[in-house]
Amino acid sequence: MSATAAPLRRRTPFWRNVRVLRVVLQAVFLLAVVLFLLALFENLTTNLRAQGIRTDFGYLQQPAGFAIADADFRPSQSIWDAIKVGAVNTIKVSLLGILLATVLGVVVGVARLSTNWLVRRSAAIYVETLRNIPVLVIILFWWLAVLLQLPPIRRAVDLDVIVISNRGLVGPGLEQTEALAGFLLVAAVGLVAAAAAAVWRTRVFDRTGQPHHRVLWGSSVLLLFLVAGFFVFDRPFTISLPERGELATTGGFRLSPEYAALLIGLALYTASHIAEIVRGSILAVPRGQTEAANAVGLSGFQRLRFVVLPQAFRISVPPIANQYLNLVKNSSLGVAIAFPEVTRITRIAIGQQAPAPQSVLVLMGVYLFFSLVIALVMNLINRRLTLKGR
Amino acid sequence: MNCKVSWGLGLVLVLLVFTAAGCFHGDEEGAPGQTAATDQEGQGGRILEEVKSRGTLNCGVNEAVPGFGFVTEAGDFEGFDIDYCRVVAAAVLGDATKVEFKPLTAEQRFTALQAGEIDVLIRNTTWTASRDGGEGATHLTTTFYDGGGMMVRADSPYQSIDDMGGTTICVLSGTTNEQVLASVFGARGIEHEPLTFEEIDPLREAFVAERCDGWTSDLSQLAGIRSQWPVNQGGPEALRILDEPLSKEPLGPAVRDGDTKWADAVNWAILATIQAEEFEITSENVDQMADSDDPEIRRFLGSPVEEEEGAAPAPFDPGLGLPIDFALQIVKQVGNYGEIYERHLGPESPLELERGFNALWTDGGLHYSPPYR
Repeated sequence: MSATAAPLRRRTPFWRNVRVLRVVLQAVFLLAVVLFLLALFENLTTNLRAQGIRTDFGYLQQPAGFAIADADFRPSQSIWDAIKVGAVNTIKVSLLGILLATVLGVVVGVARLSTNWLVRRSAAIYVETLRNIPVLVIILFWWLAVLLQLPPIRRAVDLDVIVISNRGLVGPGLEQTEALAGFLLVAAVGLVAAAAAAVWRTRVFDRTGQPHHRVLWGSSVLLLFLVAGFFVFDRPFTISLPERGELATTGGFRLSPEYAALLIGLALYTASHIAEIVRGSILAVPRGQTEAANAVGLSGFQRLRFVVLPQAFRISVPPIANQYLNLVKNSSLGVAIAFPEVTRITRIAIGQQAPAPQSVLVLMGVYLFFSLVIALVMNLINRRLTLKGR
Repeated sequence: MNCKVSWGLGLVLVLLVFTAAGCFHGDEEGAPGQTAATDQEGQGGRILEEVKSRGTLNCGVNEAVPGFGFVTEAGDFEGFDIDYCRVVAAAVLGDATKVEFKPLTAEQRFTALQAGEIDVLIRNTTWTASRDGGEGATHLTTTFYDGGGMMVRADSPYQSIDDMGGTTICVLSGTTNEQVLASVFGARGIEHEPLTFEEIDPLREAFVAERCDGWTSDLSQLAGIRSQWPVNQGGPEALRILDEPLSKEPLGPAVRDGDTKWADAVNWAILATIQAEEFEITSENVDQMADSDDPEIRRFLGSPVEEEEGAAPAPFDPGLGLPIDFALQIVKQVGNYGEIYERHLGPESPLELERGFNALWTDGGLHYSPPYR
């Protein structure tokens, strides 16, 4: 046998070394993309400058020059303040919309699997109709065909506690007084105390096995604190009832028809999608679980509440998070019915000399922020619910 | 071998970076250079050349205001502003029909102008300082002197805006009316709730449903809307326009900033209509007028005129980039200012607007054309 030769240390030349090529190609591609984006940006700024339009974000400090309905906003305040008012409106409609859509969606989704034929059919019709109509049409329908057709303010329906007209639904409102801050402090302390009570009851349950009734205990403690605070701080808020005037209803808390139409339209549409997700996720729970629940002797409602829904909930979180994001983005349809949410405010500002590229960028940033917050919360929920080992 | 590969790779990458930097630096140098070139080119008539080579004029218009910019049931555009689009087309292209009308909302109009989607914006647009400034537009001669107004239902008790405390007012967004509403009502301390719409149709629905008590817009627009108010809602008698104007609203065409040659060309096309009315040249007598003895009229219409003693008669070219006989083509194909006004806004039309401030200066109005020489 010949002697073994020393192993030759030969490296592949770099021009056919796969690892090198990968890195080089990626670098070249990245460079090309960056150059392209820079070229676009240069083009934009050059053209804007040629027309004398500003290319910075300083326009945000300019006075707005327009007023916003239903808001504590003066036209002399800055455009940035106007955008904040719009963002608050978007949050108001999105949060409430998400809540309503979830509640309605879960109810309808479960109803679609009911053993009762009428309930099942009605839910199916609701879902099939609303999923297939564009959101804008639903919103316009509610605004034009329903809410605007309510009696005009001169013939408003006055029920003392509530006044209904096509200028809005005005109900009893809370007027804050100076003592409110103290009351809120007591309320915060009460919440902490309620949480502590719930934790204590859970410990008792763990130790002795007696039913904890922690919800009952927690809410009683909270109620105690709230009532005490109410009397100690001498009426921190008063209830104002609406008074019907010639043109408007003063006092109370007003729900404008634009807000209501947007809210109802968004909630109904998103609920139909959530209903389908809930139905799908209930059907995805293994059949064996239902059979086992029946074998143990749980009633229909108990089976749903303790076995099926918790498992279905876990599956449904990512698609429902998607629907929430869609709802936030669909709230921009308030543009069509003069509801001053953030897209509307941005468009008004653009119409009043705010430079368009920067304004839209700010708008995109606002929506991105909302979406990331929702995605973060839903991801946290998802992570807590994930089965160990997946 | 190891070192060679790494060095080789490093060298390649460094070379790439320098090339890229060089390209970008070139862009940057090119950019201010380009801006200067663009400005010079801009003053050299880039839009004018583009329109001529394209063969049609892109005109931004309104499609919802009777009398100014409106689409009939047959789908044709007609109105005062529409005719002025045709005036510019007749001047630049020699043919008043070569216009492409692009309907725009008040919010979109300046963005469309800035982006070059339209060559000229003739859409009842008010001339303001900020539009000339930061908005990137250049306003041209005012074609219609208007004012801001308020329209209410005839059975409401308001006689002036001071009566309108606590009311809800509907207005279109992106208009000067929106700003005027905020500032005038704010200055007089009149509480109001503004309802701003992007399009006129939801606004009309809200007004009909009595969602708002007042509708503020330019007086001419309100007159047009009132004239077309459907009979089943009471017809024009169901509405009342308050007398006092809330603001000055000089309406006129606008072009993009940065192209003075185009701005001058369009401006003189507009002024030609006013000058034609002053010379009493109408679409009917324009051909005879071209042979007139008056050298001013001959010069204006592009007929050869003896400018100096003994020199050969020659047509006058002021160097605007327009054809010699652009004024003749305008008056022949569209008409003079008075004819255009009478056709759409005059006492014979549904709007029934008196000339008032829109008469010629010789009749006590504000329209005064600089001399064509």
